[in-house]
Amino acid sequence: MAKAQKDPEGFEQRLLHKLVDFKDKHVLEVGCGEGRLTFKYGAAAKRVIGFDPDHDALRIARVDAPLDMQKHVHFANASASNIPFSKETFDIAILAWSL
Amino acid sequence: MQHESMVHALDEIRRTLKPNGMLIDLRPVEANWSVEIVSSAGWQAAGRLSDLPVALADDEAAFQAMREVESNGWYIKKQEQEFAFFYYWDTPSEMKEFMDEEWADFEKLEDHVYQKTKSMWALANADARVRVRVNMLITLWDKRWS
Repeated sequence: MAKAQKDPEGFEQRLLHKLVDFKDKHVLEVGCGEGRLTFKYGAAAKRVIGFDPDHDALRIARVDAPLDMQKHVHFANASASNIPFSKETFDIAILAWSL
Repeated sequence: MQHESMVHALDEIRRTLKPNGMLIDLRPVEANWSVEIVSSAGWQAAGRLSDLPVALADDEAAFQAMREVESNGWYIKKQEQEFAFFYYWDTPSEMKEFMDEEWADFEKLEDHVYQKTKSMWALANADARVRVRVNMLITLWDKRWS
């Protein structure tokens, strides 16, 4: 399978951290896919839940999760039509190319 | 995702956000992404990708959904900023292979653009690579208290 190098300059990551303070935040990422974006902010957050309807993408995300994120970054199979969390749980929600 | 489903998803997200919560939306802001040759000597545009109708419809539906939830008073736009996001490949053939596998449903690399990309890459410096520039928009939305 052909691979692309995505945002090697890190423009997206730098801008995200410039605009948003993830410290001590509970984050929900909708449509996290393989965790490409999740791993760019996950270390700074208190807890991250990334969800996606694609089982294969989630399997890759779990395998690729850096060691320093494995305790507080979690991936779940779910759809945005019915988010399986109670109300007022998260400080930040992220939609990355996923609406 | 259909427009109604997008609005419902934004309502679901709003439900799970704390009263002072924030929604971050990242999405491409421009159609027909640019194909470029880049090397230590600089970069040159080789052409643009063609958007397939489904891609255009999805983008418009997403923007429309955001406009709707803003007018509903569910979210208040706090800040937005554009930035460039690049995909890189070592060769034009790797780029084409990736596009055929990953982007076939929404972007088309026209043959004349591919041929021009190959020509420009072949004539460029030895360290030349190929990239696609996607102009992105990041928007921060505050959840509105109800």
